[in-house]
Amino acid sequence: MSWHTAFRNQEPDRAGSIIDLEKVSVRYKVPQEKIPSLKEYVIRWLKREVHYQDFWALKNINLKVDSGEVVGIIGPNGAGKSTLLKVVARVLKPTTGRIRTFGHIAPLLELGAGFDPELTGRENIYLNGAILGYSKSEINERLDSIVEFSGLQEFIDAPLRTYSTGMFARLGFSVATAKRPDVLIVDEILGVGDAEFQTRSYERIQEFRASGTTILLVSHSMDRVEEMCSKVVWLDGGELVSLGSPKAIISDYLGRTTHKEAERLAEKIHREPLQRWGNRKIEITHVYITDGHGHEQAVFRTGEKVILHMEYEAHEAHTSLIFGIAIHHQDGTHITGPNTKQAGLEIPALEGKGRVTYTIPYLPLLEGLYHFSVAVVNQDDSEIFDYHDRAYPFRVVNYLANSEKYGLMTLSGEWGLSTDQQQTGNVSR
Amino acid sequence: MHNEYDSDAAGFPAIRELFELWRYRDLLRLIVNNSVKTRYKRSVLGIIWTLLNPLLNTLVLTIAFSQILRFQVYNYPIYILVGLLVWNFFAQTTTHAMNTLIWGSSLLKRIYVPRTIFSVSVVGNGLINFCLALIPLVLIMLVMKHPFSPTLTLLPVAIIFMAMFTLGFTLMISTLAVYFVDVVEMFAILLSAWFYLTPIIYPINILPEKIAEIVKLNPVYYILQLFQSIIYLGEWPSKESVLISGIISSFTFLVGWWFFTKRSDELAYRI
Repeated sequence: MSWHTAFRNQEPDRAGSIIDLEKVSVRYKVPQEKIPSLKEYVIRWLKREVHYQDFWALKNINLKVDSGEVVGIIGPNGAGKSTLLKVVARVLKPTTGRIRTFGHIAPLLELGAGFDPELTGRENIYLNGAILGYSKSEINERLDSIVEFSGLQEFIDAPLRTYSTGMFARLGFSVATAKRPDVLIVDEILGVGDAEFQTRSYERIQEFRASGTTILLVSHSMDRVEEMCSKVVWLDGGELVSLGSPKAIISDYLGRTTHKEAERLAEKIHREPLQRWGNRKIEITHVYITDGHGHEQAVFRTGEKVILHMEYEAHEAHTSLIFGIAIHHQDGTHITGPNTKQAGLEIPALEGKGRVTYTIPYLPLLEGLYHFSVAVVNQDDSEIFDYHDRAYPFRVVNYLANSEKYGLMTLSGEWGLSTDQQQTGNVSR
Repeated sequence: MHNEYDSDAAGFPAIRELFELWRYRDLLRLIVNNSVKTRYKRSVLGIIWTLLNPLLNTLVLTIAFSQILRFQVYNYPIYILVGLLVWNFFAQTTTHAMNTLIWGSSLLKRIYVPRTIFSVSVVGNGLINFCLALIPLVLIMLVMKHPFSPTLTLLPVAIIFMAMFTLGFTLMISTLAVYFVDVVEMFAILLSAWFYLTPIIYPINILPEKIAEIVKLNPVYYILQLFQSIIYLGEWPSKESVLISGIISSFTFLVGWWFFTKRSDELAYRI
């Protein structure tokens, strides 16, 4: 490493970057039909019937990563994130373009690659270590610490086929991180082993980070990415959409995905509700959800103002009506069910068209998918005019790092602290 | 440790691959060790079986061909055994390598290792088995009082030629096997025909002229001839025959290595 660092500084064209992708594209040739046999292939080739479809998993990616940076890679499924990691890990050679890396790279993509179930845990440490490019002496030096970190001391001389999946992955992680790498490639922070092991593996990654290891991280957890990364790459459809500071990119990215989600929900909201009953003497003809500015929305943030609008048409005159709504979480939890009667709103005799609104001044719900139900019934609930059950979805997103995360809702509570120690100054907040 | 990677590095991939293989020599050694170990760990007779197997084979073939076909060959069991050792090395290594690369290509999709490592390790494993199989040959030679000629000092050269030829051939055929599932079966059929077109159980001089011409198109014949000459006949092989088998094996090795390293980047692209 010292050799490396010293050497790196002497080379002007590298300018400190440890990973350098220039116009990297990756193309998969997808055969249009499966040709499993040579005989078939030769026949079709003679008939000139072998066709491939090109699939560009990465298109013209330029990326420089400096030593010590922690780079998050975000994007929807199929964006090319894993392909990018594979290119850096040298598994895939770019179809066009060039990649250069400098230093020892530890890929945490496939833990325990090449593990042989017939061999013992100890033998597999040597095998897997050699696959990762360690020399025998490096493994000898680290054998004890690998076994200790994996917590598999008792099983280390048993054949690997007797291991559980969790033990398998723990051993794999321990070998892959036995030596501090110059570059660590992580595909989703690993759900490896039990909670205790997860904590330790996360700590190990943090230690590497602290001591200058460059990290490439693919994750769908924006909190994780924002927390760990110094730079974020946003990929979509194999292309680099943007690159920059985590806060800006993540908020753009979420804005975009929110937009897509909103379109999807909006399409759903205008469809005829699936669960609907009632005699329709009074009909709820149209329901929509808006923000405080009256703009129709399907995605909200915790704390926003939300207004539910119900347009009705009374086909015959009625007095003493009750309008009600309900909110359910997607798992079926009934969160609330307010109505006009409980709220003391007397509804005069209605005839013809009109609109009822329900305003939530401060949406207390946390991240998740929710549905509104709407209903109109008579005074003693003996006659249901119209009932749309869980017909109107909306999503609550939460991408402010300092907002609440656990459970379904925030009570907007306030924390206090008072200590018995007599100290100068007051502890506030 | 030298750890730079440049996908667009200048030079020849075929030569870079040699350096990469050297860098991963510990892995190569481990794979060979493990395959030897798993082979002998599993069966009760273990190593004894490996020694017994060619002996029994030789016995069967000796009885079958010398009694039924009735041609007279001096110390026929030794003739057969030499042929079988060389042939088994070639046939088993190529077949084993195809299956290993099919396994290995799934590893290549997940992590980087030098791509030739699988074929090279199978050849290494084959060489170990070959050397073990020399033990029963020596036993039979002792029992039959067959002379040990000084020409045996050429044995390493013959082994190197055999290994180079087999490796080159293996690299080509196993690449095909990754792409097409029927190659393994087709090759098995090809091998059994090839066996009879190689003078293993018969001496070439019993063949009619025309068929002998065909057999002489068979590259394995030239390598086998070298072994027969230095072990069985105890005669120094002619310069031409050393040259011919040297050229055949180097050429096959170079073409196979070049072909494979040129194609090997695609292996990970296979879905």
